[in-house]
Amino acid sequence: MAVAIAAARVWRPNRGLSQAALLLLRRPGARGLARSHPHRQQQQFSSLDDKPQFPGASAEFIDKLEFIQPNVISGIPIYRVMDRQGQIINPSEDPHLPKEKVLKLYKSMTLLNTMDRILYESQRQGRISFYMTNYGEEGTHVGSAAALDNTDLVFGQYREAGVLMYRDYPLELFMAQCYGNISDLGKGRQMPVHYGCKERHFVTISSPLATQIPQAVGAAYAAKRANANRVVICYFGEGAASEGDAHAGFNFAATLECPIIFFCRNNGYAISTPTSEQYRGDGIAARGPGYGIMSIRVDGNDVFAVYNATKEARRRAVAENQPFLIEAMTYRIGHHSTSDDSSAYRSVDEVNYWDKQDHPISRLRHYLLSQGWWDEEQEKAWRKQSRKKVMEAFEQAERKPKPNPNLLFSDVYQEMPAQLRKQQESLARHLQTYGEHYPLEHFDK
Amino acid sequence: MALVAAAAGWLLRLRAAGAEGHWRRLRGAGLARGFLHPAATVEDAAQRRQVAHFTFQPDPEPREYGQTQKMNLFQSVSSALDNSLAKDPTAVIFGEDVAFGGVFRCTVGLRDKYGKDRVFNTPLCEQGIVGFGIGIAVTGATAIAEIQFADYIFPAFDQIVNEAAKYRYRSGDLFNCGSLTIRSPWGCVGHGALYHSQSPEAFFAHCPGIKVVIPRSPFQAKGLLLSCIEDKNPCIFFEPKILYRAAAEEVPVEPYNIPLSQAEVIQEGSDVTLVAWGTQVHVIREVASMAKEKLEVSCEVIDLRTIIPWDVDTICKSVIKTGRLLISHEAPLTGGFASEISSTVQALAPSPRLECSGAISAHCNLCLPGSSDSPASASQVAVITGTCRHTQLIFCISSRDRVSPCWSGWSRTPDLK
Repeated sequence: MAVAIAAARVWRPNRGLSQAALLLLRRPGARGLARSHPHRQQQQFSSLDDKPQFPGASAEFIDKLEFIQPNVISGIPIYRVMDRQGQIINPSEDPHLPKEKVLKLYKSMTLLNTMDRILYESQRQGRISFYMTNYGEEGTHVGSAAALDNTDLVFGQYREAGVLMYRDYPLELFMAQCYGNISDLGKGRQMPVHYGCKERHFVTISSPLATQIPQAVGAAYAAKRANANRVVICYFGEGAASEGDAHAGFNFAATLECPIIFFCRNNGYAISTPTSEQYRGDGIAARGPGYGIMSIRVDGNDVFAVYNATKEARRRAVAENQPFLIEAMTYRIGHHSTSDDSSAYRSVDEVNYWDKQDHPISRLRHYLLSQGWWDEEQEKAWRKQSRKKVMEAFEQAERKPKPNPNLLFSDVYQEMPAQLRKQQESLARHLQTYGEHYPLEHFDK
Repeated sequence: MALVAAAAGWLLRLRAAGAEGHWRRLRGAGLARGFLHPAATVEDAAQRRQVAHFTFQPDPEPREYGQTQKMNLFQSVSSALDNSLAKDPTAVIFGEDVAFGGVFRCTVGLRDKYGKDRVFNTPLCEQGIVGFGIGIAVTGATAIAEIQFADYIFPAFDQIVNEAAKYRYRSGDLFNCGSLTIRSPWGCVGHGALYHSQSPEAFFAHCPGIKVVIPRSPFQAKGLLLSCIEDKNPCIFFEPKILYRAAAEEVPVEPYNIPLSQAEVIQEGSDVTLVAWGTQVHVIREVASMAKEKLEVSCEVIDLRTIIPWDVDTICKSVIKTGRLLISHEAPLTGGFASEISSTVQALAPSPRLECSGAISAHCNLCLPGSSDSPASASQVAVITGTCRHTQLIFCISSRDRVSPCWSGWSRTPDLK
């Protein structure tokens, strides 16, 4: 309050400021509240200088009228470690990951790819209702997952199955969720690909976009308070980044100093909407500095680049309690989902280019081959083995029944309230009388 | 429309007359003078009525929770928050302007006492506040979010309805945000107009997975808020802002719980059941005493307290006893929570005493743009649309069927003519 009074005295034509008044002047913001960012502290109040005193910005005056031109022609550069042939460009950036780890990266991506093919087909055959593939973006998933601790909390959007794959989520559970059978930990309540796993610290996916962003920030804040040495990573697409929740999340993370990694998968499309219709600025990375967030743009199809950026972001986010924004540039090779036919809005040539010339799996395979850690025979054997694993899980999932209809009513609240119990009983009575009209044989008794 | 225009014209004439005091304006309206005034003198009534459309009725001093202290509503909320932060080291309070104490002083002193990492401001963004709160709760920590006015809760509607309410269900109980509580000032305050007066409980009543709680008094508020904070489901706690200072009573200093989803029968009666929540409970209490005095009608007065999941049994049991139900709320009539209560009671109460659908009436506040706390304007509108907010007018409409053509049920019951 003393500051306010002193300020009131200063704000008149700048003459005759008494010595006493000058002594009362204190630096706003220096009241024992620690600031981790030095540029936030404001300049000393003094009418003898002609410096700006506005609390809202720390900047110099300028007497030339000039609008800042947004730079979209030469945007934020894209960090990469490997070229498109899988060769390390700058040896000092090589993460020198051990063979087992790189093989795990490779196998996670390829197993995911195989599972995607089979489950996409199964939707086409009417076995599951819906599916979303991850073609082309596998590198963003495993590269980032590999750089995190296993206990780091993950909030995803819907195209991050590779993170779960890397964390060894069993095929049986992927399938169970897609089939909505009794093995599904989610109890068959959501559409396919809405995975969740408490053990693997992967928060259950929800359909509304970007809602996970401010939630991830809250979780990071709680982790900071708990001194957990954990980071939270939040994945979202460039389309979801247009939502108000994204803006909210970025702003909260910066102001509340949260240890969070915002990982944006910029894959060129939000269903049919190309990025030229999604934003006019320099992508998502350019927004970070606007919020006061450390930001980087990486080649999402380069597993090592994704790995390096995530690793460093994690280290600093936890050490410095500040958010990091990684925009991983990639391409969505598949359709948005089984409900989409992307030939309606993009050319087959465009898709083929990415599939053939710039694919995260091929690039890593080239690297493996050049290291002598992989060969054609192992490739053939692994393809066969991974397909077999997927088919086995698939056949098992097919055979299992769906959850009991009673599960429609539980978990709405922690305890079942009287009204829901009445509705549950009403359904039970209805099924007793009219059960023949329902496919009850597919459901658990 | 013509009727409304006529009412508006009448209203302007009254204002132009420069009448002071609400009671004097009402007299000028030509309504039966002696009938409307309670037994006390006109001058007493003018002073008492000038400030609010109700008189806060404190409950008797609670004896079973230890030492008490006179607290108003914001102090009782503050006390509950203080108790929570003391008991639960993971608990944090956040929202706009909570750090300096809050625009209604509910968080005064808490930042100094518990630290800036536990009581802190957020940027001005309701969807962010609730989303952030959900995230904290997902990790198991206790999140107490403040939305500055219930009128501004709508940007957070997606996070509340699509996320918070469904977190446990959609994840198969792998994850939940049960330790989230959202607090928000609610309801009419007299000068609040469209955007500082809303009662949005009905929007949330349609959302399974959350609980919505509204206290009528400081004692109720502290106990109910503590229950919300400890409840394992995300809760919205609406605080009637007009009661923040106007309502004061003895409140236990130590923590205590009042159960959720339990309505309270404040006064037993035999002829009609009156149901309300929040500020309106005090209005219907007065209606009950006026009915007793003027018409020898015995009213059973019930404070609903939890909007969802609501206490169907207590209301139904009461209506089975009395045979008549009147629900009164500030929120708009159509789709207001009274419609849920009345349709449920009609479906479930299998009593021959329940004569016809006209025996259930919903009385709701009509929120006029820029409306001031004037019984005159409300009464004129009430005549047209059947809505009202004030004790006198509910009583008037209930008892004089000629001004309430909608309430045919009343005219059919000979003992209430």
